[in-house]
Amino acid sequence: MLVAALLGWELIPRTGWLPELFLPSLSNTLAVLVSDWRIYGSALLVTLGEVALSMLIACGGGIALGAIVGGFARMRNLLLPVFSSLYAVPIVILYPVFTAWFGVGSESKIAFAGLYAFFPVMLSTAAGIRTIDPQYLVAARSMGATLQQQLTRVIIPAALPTVFVGLRLGGALAIIGVVVAEMLTAAAGIGYLVTLNRTILDSPRVFAALILILMLSIVYDAMTRSLERRLLVWQPVKRSPAARPGSGLSASVSAA
Amino acid sequence: MQQLANLDGDSRVQAKAIEVSRLSHVYAGIHGEVLALEDISLQVESGKFTVIVGPSGCGKTSLLMMMAGLRSQSSGELLCHGAPMPQPDPNRVGVVFQEASLFPWLTAAQNVEFPLSLRADPKAARRQRALQMLSLVGLDGFADRYPHELSGGMKQRVSIARGLVQDPQVLLMDEPFAALDEQTRMTMGHELLRIWATTSKTVVFITHSLTEAVYLADEVLVMSARPGRIIDRIAIDLPRPRTYEMMASDKFGGLRERIWQQIRSQH
Amino acid sequence: MASARAALLFALLAAWEFLPRSGLMNPELLPPLSEVLTTLWKLLQRSNVHAAIGVTMAEVAVAFLIAIPLGTLLGVLIAEKPYLADIFKPLLFYVFSIPKSVFLPMFILVFGINFAQKVAYAAFTTTFVVIMSAAACVESVKTEYIEVARSCGASRTQLILRVYVPSMLPMLLETIRISMIFNFTAVMIAEMYASRTGIGHLIANWGENFQMPQLFAGIVLLSVIAIFFNESVRWLEERCSNWRT
Repeated sequence: MLVAALLGWELIPRTGWLPELFLPSLSNTLAVLVSDWRIYGSALLVTLGEVALSMLIACGGGIALGAIVGGFARMRNLLLPVFSSLYAVPIVILYPVFTAWFGVGSESKIAFAGLYAFFPVMLSTAAGIRTIDPQYLVAARSMGATLQQQLTRVIIPAALPTVFVGLRLGGALAIIGVVVAEMLTAAAGIGYLVTLNRTILDSPRVFAALILILMLSIVYDAMTRSLERRLLVWQPVKRSPAARPGSGLSASVSAA
Repeated sequence: MQQLANLDGDSRVQAKAIEVSRLSHVYAGIHGEVLALEDISLQVESGKFTVIVGPSGCGKTSLLMMMAGLRSQSSGELLCHGAPMPQPDPNRVGVVFQEASLFPWLTAAQNVEFPLSLRADPKAARRQRALQMLSLVGLDGFADRYPHELSGGMKQRVSIARGLVQDPQVLLMDEPFAALDEQTRMTMGHELLRIWATTSKTVVFITHSLTEAVYLADEVLVMSARPGRIIDRIAIDLPRPRTYEMMASDKFGGLRERIWQQIRSQH
Repeated sequence: MASARAALLFALLAAWEFLPRSGLMNPELLPPLSEVLTTLWKLLQRSNVHAAIGVTMAEVAVAFLIAIPLGTLLGVLIAEKPYLADIFKPLLFYVFSIPKSVFLPMFILVFGINFAQKVAYAAFTTTFVVIMSAAACVESVKTEYIEVARSCGASRTQLILRVYVPSMLPMLLETIRISMIFNFTAVMIAEMYASRTGIGHLIANWGENFQMPQLFAGIVLLSVIAIFFNESVRWLEERCSNWRT
């Protein structure tokens, strides 16, 4: 199927079925990517840097806070409905606030993407913490484990899958947040290149940037999944859940 | 109701309630074709309580589904009161599933009415009949409760009421008490026999519990492991009505042992 | 619990009012709540704001009305035909995880910058969500219910109307709620990115011109609309789910 899509990409514009403006041929796009690799390369670096830093905020904060909120029923009952209601509001509309506060440079992207990814990571971690069977701790205590041992030998390993999900989610959302922010208002980065070239109607360059973005998400996703598989060998292989819309789906998917 | 059944019953009593001839079933599995049932032939007399036991995976549920008209066999013949069952016919055959599977958005009475509502019977008559059935299974006063308000045993009773609502000649039951705890199981078994005595239907009942099998049945059919075949028919000639005390008798134990030996010989 | 949440909300609103006033936060950057609200009130009197709201709401509505039937149809098809499911499900999961804003420039190239482009983009984005949710809805109907209904002699139509629909209803409402969130977000992104009309465009403008009270007023307005719709559907969901355990 993939092969057919790639072939289509090459041939459809060439045969004139769709004008090159709408869909530049694959070869043109790749050619531009190669010839301008320096521009694309440095843009990619900028974007990656922003993603990394916003991940720090989102995952670091999100997982920590998620663990706390998830672990304590009172906090959970208090906060979860609030977040669930807030989820209805598109966070993008806050982006102009960030550009007004932090300017057009990387800081606004990092802050925005950090916020954007923060809540889903927190919610996902909170939900995941709840799945840890309290019986594990009871069993450990009955075997004479000290508090420290309980933490390191039971809680942390049991929490690892949840943490990994949080990392994967956070990274994916950080990428999306950064890219959207760069597309909207920026002076550098891949998203910026997309907008720049779109306004001058240079389609091959636009699509070249788009390919990079796609590659970025796909590679990140594949990397984290294989890392998860490698490190969490003891996890039963889970079928991707027939996504039940609601907590599961909305938390793991971006609206952007 | 009772007399109506008997009037037509004369012509029907001639035909066996269920007659299976040389039935085999093959299905496509992951690694090729699987022979699920092999050359099954059996007959169930009208008004009798027949229990089928067998190891897991032997195909007894599939066989029951075929009797219900929910599945068709690869080869062989299956007749219910002289006619085949190409599709479900709640007038002839009522089914009670392992999971009560009551529709959670309907009340108990609405669940029992469900088959009647499919035929667009008049509302008042439907409700009347549903209440009648609920009374029969001992659930007076629970008509307007929702399933989530009912216990496991109660849900199964509603399920039985639903199976009986169209006064079928045959009632098929697929491990209906499997999800209940032991004590409820015993009570439900006793209740079932009471209902059966009142309505004199033909019952085909699947269970894993040998005690349950001997307690309930007129005849026990033992199936082999896959491919499922009937390897023994054991007549249970304990007097009716059955009582709990009978379970302690030597005869009970002996019958139970005999079934167990048959099943064990499979491994 | 409800009172604790109310207290939390109140505390946050109070903070919004006092932090800028006390000087802890620069009131140029974060206007106090009262100023934002009065600005909002004034804005709502202006006809160009009315026009912008109208445009945005129209885009949201049209995109939604395209995406829901289309997505439901495809979703049901995928759920019903395992053959299609095997081909398309992995594809859909991949498309899902890529930022859909990536496709926005393409829509602009094809349609230009106008109503159609924004609607097309939003409909495109939302359809994917609806497909996944609709498929999940259909799959959620327990096979036991189908078997029971069939054993009671239900025809195919009766199966759909008497078993599938009531069983799926709460989930369908949730689908509508979630898809609307995605839909609204997509329209906002499109308007903020490249548009000459709509609230998103206004917000982007206000941001660029450092008109902070207006910017926050716009944000408050949109948030209220979004939350209102969300909670209304959620309320409906609760009403229809009284039988759910």
